[in-house]
Amino acid sequence: MPPAAGNGLEPGFRGVICVSFGSSDDTALPDTNGQPRYDLHFESATAESLSELKSVLSGSRVGVRLILAGPPTDIRAAAAAAADCGLLGEEVTLLPQETGPRFVYCPHCLTTTVDEAAGTEVKCQGCATTLTIADHFSRRRGAYLGYSAHAEEAA
Amino acid sequence: MTAIALQPRVHPAVEGGLQLEVTNVSRETESIVSITMAAPEGGRLPSYVPGSHLVVQWGNGVNAYSLTGSGNAPSEYSISVLRVGEGAGGSLAMHRLCVGDRVYVARPRSAFAPASTATHHLLVAAGIGITPVLSHARAAVERDSTATMIYVHRPDAGAHVAEARELLGPGLIALVECTDRGSFQNVLAEALITQPVGTHLYVCGPVVFMDAVLEEARGHGWSSARLHSEAFGAAELDAGEPFTVHLARSGVRLEVPAGVSLLETLETAGQSIPNMCRKGICGECVLPVLRGAPQHRDLYLSEQEKAANNTMMSCVSRSNDPELELDL
Ligand code: FES
Repeated sequence: MPPAAGNGLEPGFRGVICVSFGSSDDTALPDTNGQPRYDLHFESATAESLSELKSVLSGSRVGVRLILAGPPTDIRAAAAAAADCGLLGEEVTLLPQETGPRFVYCPHCLTTTVDEAAGTEVKCQGCATTLTIADHFSRRRGAYLGYSAHAEEAA
Repeated sequence: MTAIALQPRVHPAVEGGLQLEVTNVSRETESIVSITMAAPEGGRLPSYVPGSHLVVQWGNGVNAYSLTGSGNAPSEYSISVLRVGEGAGGSLAMHRLCVGDRVYVARPRSAFAPASTATHHLLVAAGIGITPVLSHARAAVERDSTATMIYVHRPDAGAHVAEARELLGPGLIALVECTDRGSFQNVLAEALITQPVGTHLYVCGPVVFMDAVLEEARGHGWSSARLHSEAFGAAELDAGEPFTVHLARSGVRLEVPAGVSLLETLETAGQSIPNMCRKGICGECVLPVLRGAPQHRDLYLSEQEKAANNTMMSCVSRSNDPELELDL
C-alpha cells in the first residue's frame, strides 16, 4: 500500500530514496551507509505511482540518491521518471529483480505459466512450447510475454 | 587613438573570424573595463552558447575573454578585461582600446555551456569570473529557465553588479553578493544543500576558489556531472605537478617537471610540435593521447572533447595520471 504523496519525507531531503516495486521486499535493499533513508513501495510503475515518485523527488534536493528495486520494466519506467526530474544516471542505482517467481504469458495458447527458475526460458504449462521470456512486461496481465523459443528452427 | 586600430597581420588563431569595430568602452571598476564590439557595417553577429569566449587579437598576440551577453542573435559582442599588471601585455593593450578601433576576433567558442537537462542553475562567481556567469544568468532570464547567483567581489569593486541586480526576477530568482570570505562560506554551504534536484552548478573565478567550491559541492553529494567550471587564461595557470610522458612510436620516456610545459619538454627533446599561441587558445599544439587522463587547462577543446581524453593541448595541459602515453 503506497504511502500518501511525499508523506514523511522531510522537506529538503538529501539522503537515499529507496523504491521497491512488486513483490520486492524492502529488506532486500542495500544498507545506505548511515545516510538518511526514505522508503517507498509500489505494486508496479503505474502513471499514479510514477507521479507520486516525481512529487517525492521534486521535494528533495541535490545530493539525493535513488535506489530502484523490482521487475526490470517497473524500475526502468521509474528511472525515466527520475531523469525527467533532473536526476543523473550516476545518482540512480537499478536493482533489477531477476529472481523469484514470474508470470509468463504464452501468446500461442493464452495460458499464464509461473516461472520459478529465473532462467531465460520456461516451458508453457498450457501447450508445452518452450518460451523465451521477453523483457516486455504487460501491466494488464501482470506477466512477461513469452515467445516460442525455437520458432526459427521449427519453421 | 587609432594607432593600434588595424593590426598589421591577422593572427592564425583569429583567421577566418570577424573584423569588428569597438562601439563602447566603459570602466567597470578601477581595473576592469568592458569593451563592446559590433560589425562595422552593423547587423547580426553569429549567435553563441552562454559561457562562450571570444579570442581577440591585440597587436601581434591573442587572448581569450568571456562574452557577457546571452548569445542569442547578438548585434554586438561584449567582453570585460581585467588589467593584469605583469601579464603578457594583452590586458594593457585591451585597456587602451577606444571607440572606433578595429579588432580581429575569432568566432565565439563554447566550453562552459549550460547543461540542457538542468532544471535550475546555481551560478557562483568570484571577481572577473562574473563575465561568463553573467552570460549564463542573462540566458536563463531569456530562455524561461531559472538561476540563483552568488557573486564574491571586493567591497565597491564588483564589475557588472548593476546589470546582475537588474536581471533579478522570475529568471534570476536570487542574487547574493559576498564581500568577505566568511559570509561566502556560509552562503555557499547553505546554497549547496538547498538546491532543487535538477540543479547544475557553474563556477568561475581564480583556480583555488573554484577548487574549493567544487570540493565542497562534492562533499555535499553533488555528482561530477552537475559541476561545471571555467578556468581563466594562461595568467592563472599554476606550475602543476610533474609527470611522465611515454611516446609510443619512438618508445621514449620523458619527465615533465613542474613549471615546464609538455610542449617545452617535447621541444627540448627534439620533437617539433606545431604551435602558435602557447596558451591554450589556438588549438595548434594538439596531441593524440593513447593512455592516461590529461589535466585539461586549455580554452580550445569543448567539454565533450576534454571528457573523451584522447586529445590534449600540449602548451598548457598536464596530466592527472603519473604517466601519459602519446601517439608520437
Ligand atoms: S599553441 Fe595554441 S593551443 Fe597550444
